[in-house]
Amino acid sequence: MASVHESLYFNPMMTNGVVHANVFGIKDWVTPYKIAVLVLLNEMGRTGEGAVSLMERRRLNQLLLPLLQGPDITLSKLYKLIEESCPQLANSVQIRIKLMAEGELKDMEQFFDDLSDSFSGTEPEVHKTSVVGLFLRHMILAYSKLSFSQVFKLYTALQQYFQNGEKKTMEDADMELASREEGERKMEKEELDVSIREEEVSCSGPLSQKQAEFFLSQQASLLKNDETKALTPASLQKELNNLLKFNPDFAEAHYLSYLNNLRVQDVFSSTHSLLHYFDRLILTGAESKSNGEEGYGRSLRYAALNLAALHCRFGHYQQAELALQEAIRIAQESNDHVCLQHCLSWLYVLGQKRSDSYVLLEHSVKKAVHFGLPYLASLGIQSLVQQRAFAGKTANKLMDALKDSDLLHWKHSLSELIDISIAQKTAIWRLYGRSTMALQQAQMLLSMNSLESVNAGVQQNNTESFAVALCHLAELHAEQGCFAAASEVLKHLKERFPPNSQHAQLWMLCDQKIQFDRAMNDGKYHLADSLVTGITALNSIEGVYRKAVVLQAQNQMSEAHKLLQKLLIHCQRTRNTEMVISVLLSVAELYWRSSSPTIALPVLLQALALSKEYRLQHLASETVLNLAFAQLILGIPEQALSLLHMAIEPILADGAVLDKGRAMFLVAKCQVASAASCEPLKKAEALEAAIENLNEAKNYFAKVDCKEQIRDVVYFQARLYHTLGKTQERNRCAMLFRQLHQDLPFHGVPLINLL
Amino acid sequence: MIGWGGRDRKMAASSSIVSVAPTASSVPVLPSSCDFSNLREIKKQLLLIAGLTRERGLLHSSKWSAELAFSLPALPLSELQPPPPITEEDAQDMDAYTLAKAYFDVKEYDRAAHFLHGCNSKKAYFLYMYSRYLSGEKKKDDETVDSLGPLEKGQVKNEALRELRVELSKKHQARELDGFGLYLYGVVLRKLDLVKEAIDVFVEATHVLPLHWGAWLELCNLITDKEMLKFLSLPDTWMKEFFLAHIYTELQLIEEALQKYQNLIDVGFSKSSYIVSQIAVAYHNIRDIDKALSIFNELRKQDPYRIENMDTFSNLLYVRSMKSELSYLAHNLCEIDKYRVETCCVIGNYYSLRSQHEKAALYFQRALKLNPRYLGAWTLMGHEYMEMKNTSAAIQAYRHAIEVNKRDYRAWYGLGQTYEILKMPFYCLYYYRRAHQLRPNDSRMLVALGECYEKLNQLVEAKKCYWRAYAVGDVEKMALVKLAKLHEQLTESEQAAQCYIKYIQDIYSCGEIVEHLEESTAFRYLAQYYFKCKLWDEASACAQKCCAFNDGGGDDRAV
Repeated sequence: MASVHESLYFNPMMTNGVVHANVFGIKDWVTPYKIAVLVLLNEMGRTGEGAVSLMERRRLNQLLLPLLQGPDITLSKLYKLIEESCPQLANSVQIRIKLMAEGELKDMEQFFDDLSDSFSGTEPEVHKTSVVGLFLRHMILAYSKLSFSQVFKLYTALQQYFQNGEKKTMEDADMELASREEGERKMEKEELDVSIREEEVSCSGPLSQKQAEFFLSQQASLLKNDETKALTPASLQKELNNLLKFNPDFAEAHYLSYLNNLRVQDVFSSTHSLLHYFDRLILTGAESKSNGEEGYGRSLRYAALNLAALHCRFGHYQQAELALQEAIRIAQESNDHVCLQHCLSWLYVLGQKRSDSYVLLEHSVKKAVHFGLPYLASLGIQSLVQQRAFAGKTANKLMDALKDSDLLHWKHSLSELIDISIAQKTAIWRLYGRSTMALQQAQMLLSMNSLESVNAGVQQNNTESFAVALCHLAELHAEQGCFAAASEVLKHLKERFPPNSQHAQLWMLCDQKIQFDRAMNDGKYHLADSLVTGITALNSIEGVYRKAVVLQAQNQMSEAHKLLQKLLIHCQRTRNTEMVISVLLSVAELYWRSSSPTIALPVLLQALALSKEYRLQHLASETVLNLAFAQLILGIPEQALSLLHMAIEPILADGAVLDKGRAMFLVAKCQVASAASCEPLKKAEALEAAIENLNEAKNYFAKVDCKEQIRDVVYFQARLYHTLGKTQERNRCAMLFRQLHQDLPFHGVPLINLL
Repeated sequence: MIGWGGRDRKMAASSSIVSVAPTASSVPVLPSSCDFSNLREIKKQLLLIAGLTRERGLLHSSKWSAELAFSLPALPLSELQPPPPITEEDAQDMDAYTLAKAYFDVKEYDRAAHFLHGCNSKKAYFLYMYSRYLSGEKKKDDETVDSLGPLEKGQVKNEALRELRVELSKKHQARELDGFGLYLYGVVLRKLDLVKEAIDVFVEATHVLPLHWGAWLELCNLITDKEMLKFLSLPDTWMKEFFLAHIYTELQLIEEALQKYQNLIDVGFSKSSYIVSQIAVAYHNIRDIDKALSIFNELRKQDPYRIENMDTFSNLLYVRSMKSELSYLAHNLCEIDKYRVETCCVIGNYYSLRSQHEKAALYFQRALKLNPRYLGAWTLMGHEYMEMKNTSAAIQAYRHAIEVNKRDYRAWYGLGQTYEILKMPFYCLYYYRRAHQLRPNDSRMLVALGECYEKLNQLVEAKKCYWRAYAVGDVEKMALVKLAKLHEQLTESEQAAQCYIKYIQDIYSCGEIVEHLEESTAFRYLAQYYFKCKLWDEASACAQKCCAFNDGGGDDRAV
């Protein structure tokens, strides 16, 4: 047998294991720091109304709660905190502690004896059930439970604590000396010196159960709401390990460790922590016999469910499904409807790819309402709305549903869901091509105060919904040619969601897309091409589409065509309608660029039908634009013009600047083409109108730096001026054209053949 | 024979630690070559080190050396070594040392340390430091019960460790530590969780004083895998062989360990009860139950009052359900010393075999009270709770076992079983996988994994598991049958038949007459298979065999 060491046999009582956490039955115990806080409370009680100004008293009261809940801090830090709120009190506290620490044991005993006086009398200083009162009573109880040797130990600890606070400067010198002696050996690991760890307060010493609970809940909520404010993954893990070393039975720490591991996408350790948590949770369930079998079985079900969630998060869908089946089976066996509801929602998440999944979801929502689970219900409604939006349901129905669920949110103050709801509205409006509405919703979310403020100074949390809304905002601005504003938004995003945080991918994609669009407008195709890889890494479908667009622009038609066909098939299978229409448009463009506009027509009609069916206004008007262009090429400009009149209104209202420019340009072309057969006077009039429109188009193009399009416009204008005999204007335009033409490479596509 | 021709008795210290070598001269020179040819020399060294360790209160090392020395033939009077000469320093500290040693022996460590303060001789200095260390440990353990609060219990630490470390590191840097001092320094570092530094110091200690088994043993506990072992520069001494054998056993490299132990027996340590017991444990680890049992029986005859390793023995008896032997062993050990961890464990096993699981759990708990780091008891207690259908307590016990030692495959396996009983096949996969990682060549985990996959209807994975289980050598001989049944389910009759044939061959080749219920199924399936393939002769042969089992069913007769 591998004996660990001889001493083992002398002393069978080891630290690990046997003594359980709750043997003592108390959650809190007296530490030197707590004594210092008690002294502060006592002092506050003793100084009457007059001595401390109202302002100072208010500051002190604000200070108290963090002091009571937070981890132990050093004496000097405590002094500093008190001093900031009320200097004279800090002084008296200091004196009292000094007297106690430098006096005798009986001083401390006396102090605790006197503590309970604050409750006595007809008008007690402290109410028994107040926060402070509870704390005081906890402390008195914990103190009276101490055994003889423990009391003495506490007193020596107090002295130590006091001395550490007093001689901080001297200790610094000592530390240097010690570190010189130790050479390069790692000091931080061994906790040789207390003063080393003073730097990182949160790391110092063990936390009492209450403090630990506070720490865990704080960090967990930060992880959920505002990742940047939480400790970094590494330091949080260190902290947790520390906590677990002091108390291996503290199961919640394992859960936090699981969450923490999720942040860094570590499958292995997160699984480990999760399972460990549930193993441990089962123990605590067993300890509380009142719950009996019920509590125990419950944790089993949720263990399986959480495992499913974990696998789902890492994209192991098959594994997740197996785990989920298990959870469902156990939950069914024990008639746990609430758990089953959760399972049902997850089932939907897993089955999202399937077409009939909305049935599940509808069912889930109904049941959740029935069992009174508002969170689950409205989450279900939101998913349903999302799903229906993709399936082309009318906006009013969706908005109605969202409004109903909003009612629910406000009633139960589910602030997280409110945020999501608004972000979703933004997305839906954008999907339908109503940029103004989208803009308005995004602004609304951003200027709204969150219900639960994490830190006093900050009203908003850094949740996913905010990231989504901000991304939309950036894209909307970029569409309108306000690139400076867009990049400003992106900069803000970068600050709020640093590149390694959970939601960073959202803005990364958005950023790349905007850059890509700009590069394309500029005609810098090589630049766009280099961005494609980045986009593909974040979203493969989008990446492929952009690749095809670049290829098309570079006149590599057959490659582009191949890619687009593949993409089309894929998107049709996955029911990504938005992408299908975009791809169809690209295909159509390919056709007329290779001078076969007749083939393009059925493709465009298909796209139009789809976009009308799914009510994607933005794409619909773009399709109409394409259609009109095709008709123009086919020689029926009158038809094209009437078609354009239909589409021009929504484009000018909601479309991107580029689209507006293209539309106006096309209108001008059609006007010219249809005026060809008219009598001269009318013709001149039409040409004048066309020139006006061209000017407008030119303005739009200038906004988004589309030099190529501007060149075309200028060329066209010059020709028109020439026809009208306005030589001076003609020459001006021709000169502009020449300048632009020298700057830009010629792509070998006839000018007229470009939309 | 071990073929190192190191007859020229080179100094153990290699060049890397030459600077330390002079310090060793203050202790009587203890050369030890890597050669086993001179057993007398080895015996002399063992006797010497036994004395030295005893003087320093290192009782377990002393015991180990003495045991090993005892297994070698006795020396004639002329060869007996005189006790090491007493130096001037020793003489000065003699009184203090004698007094302190007496106090030390009655566990009054602080008192011993007090009287040793200021002594200069190496021996007295070591005892001084060691007393302080043990005093700290003792206080720490007493403190645990009496700490200020529950969460503080993990924080209770040996207050003396820090001071000891500082002092020892000063001495270490000044190269003033002898082998024992280095050993103590290493122990202190390990207790402070400075594993890397501790390993370095222990390696140094083995160079300076290769004969001290304690240092080797500490090293064993710090090394977690084969890779780490490879990168250690260990002294070339015969002690290294013992160390390697021991660590191979620890790292579950049983084949290598057995080889080493066999070599040691061949060179003349055949009487050593230590080696014999280690071999028995090794056989236990590879589930060669019969061999292990016979070796243990032999050991019991040689050394009837031995308590160490008897828990392993009882495990074996338990596996073979040898009730009377186990009962005898339990009573015997109880008479020798009932407050030993091993005794409690044996009694626990005994009760468990008699299906008195409550009592069994009680005894395992008692074992844990005696030594909370006694890993086996946690696992066994988990098993008992499983038997009592108290799954939550079982999980707790297993988790504790894992906390003590993460590499305890039985605890992982037990956790897996618990969740399997709770009908969570997917959930238990993780645990079985962990167990399988730790024992990649153990068929039981693979079969368990296979069963889980089968329950999850992932037949492809299940097949892989069963096949692998068969390939690594199936202990329970069930993998093939299960594989065959899977193939049957998937209507892959060809493969199913192959599996059944292999299974029958396996059963017959090992010649065991154990009740194998599946044999008849195998024959029956084979008969049907041959029948389908129109191989009438084979079919009828199989059918006849099947009839011999009496439960073949009607369709065989149809053939």
